[in-house]
Amino acid sequence: MNMTAPPTNNFVANTNRLEFEKTVLPHFDAAYNLARWLTRNVTDAEDVVQEAYMRAFKFYGGFKGGDGRSWMLRIVRNTCYSWLQKNRSSELVYELSDELCDDKRSGPEVEMLENAERQWLRQKIEELPAPFREVIVLRDIEGMSYKEIASVTESPVGTVMSRLARGRERLQEQAGVDEAGGKR
Amino acid sequence: MNCNESRLLLHGYSDRELDREAHREVEAHIDDCSSCRDIHRRNVSISKALAHESFYYRAPADFREHVLASIDPPENDDAEKQSWWNSRPRLSWEWAVAFSLVVIVVMLATWPVRSPSDDLANELVASHVRSLMADHVTDVVSTDQHTVKPWFDGRLDFAPPVIDLAPQGFVLVGGRLDYASNRSVAALVYKRRQHVINLFVFPEQSGVPASEGSTLKQGYNLIHWNRSGMTYWAISDLNLEELKQLAHLYQDWQQ
Repeated sequence: MNMTAPPTNNFVANTNRLEFEKTVLPHFDAAYNLARWLTRNVTDAEDVVQEAYMRAFKFYGGFKGGDGRSWMLRIVRNTCYSWLQKNRSSELVYELSDELCDDKRSGPEVEMLENAERQWLRQKIEELPAPFREVIVLRDIEGMSYKEIASVTESPVGTVMSRLARGRERLQEQAGVDEAGGKR
Repeated sequence: MNCNESRLLLHGYSDRELDREAHREVEAHIDDCSSCRDIHRRNVSISKALAHESFYYRAPADFREHVLASIDPPENDDAEKQSWWNSRPRLSWEWAVAFSLVVIVVMLATWPVRSPSDDLANELVASHVRSLMADHVTDVVSTDQHTVKPWFDGRLDFAPPVIDLAPQGFVLVGGRLDYASNRSVAALVYKRRQHVINLFVFPEQSGVPASEGSTLKQGYNLIHWNRSGMTYWAISDLNLEELKQLAHLYQDWQQ
């Protein structure tokens, strides 16, 4: 058979493309969820996910197999942080503002949270500094193990656990303050 | 263990991430210490609250297509800016021949190194992904094992055990007929938070040695085991630890 070179290149591209889609498309929701929590905004999350998938496709050759979700989320996370750096650098040096603590709703202790309480919890998480927010999102919402989170955030498992601890403690402190107007 | 030591490990304890010994030590400590116990209790209630699906932001349906369309194939030598996704329907015979060749080459290249259980794992991952993508997770929708179990009667030549694991946090969503390893299999669908778990059940095949183990494929965790003449495969994007819990619950139930 007489094959010319250009189509061959395209076949290669095409197989890569299929492999790529098989690896990362199942994690599209996970990517979107992380971006949405880190940017706290629908439009920005979409921009970040789109850019992350383009980067992922470009660097797919460097993917050595293994856990596609952690690999993809690592790219989403890095894309998020460079995006935030560029567009909202003030947020990365982020402090909890005091006026956000004077809402009088009850804390997240009730197991069957009503809508309003969920809203409250959502807001509290959004107010957490990004390093704490991301571990809580990856653990409690995405359901990843510490090891997987360590791989996404490129940090040791011990750091994951201590950030999770500090993040949850902040949520708990606020729950305590809001509940009783002071610590129990 | 004192409170300071316990505080360091408490979150790992709440998340069931500690090794057995450390887990026991923290457990013994919080039995006596009400303030550490409170922290643990609140950790668990925060995790439970966040497991509600409203916290998981799902991508809008058309957004996925949009992103796919925007990814250009690399070194696109045509001036044509159309993405692979958009040009897909205009498949020419050259593409078709070429693509078949690639498929054959890939199959030949990967065939000899794959074990039968690896093939089965791939097959089941594909079924799992398909069930999620096509939005066809269940044929019979019920959280009641007494509805799901009889549904399989007459549809299969075996009776898969269906267990209610809602108290342990695995909610039965329903069941589905699937096809794998050249036979009809039962797919039981459980949910843990927003994660879908497909539990495939079918009779052990003669000549295939019974095995147990876990693997990771395409970001999905798979656990398989054999009990009482049946082969089980649990697949999910849930983390391995929690998926193991489901496996253990099934195994314990059949002891």
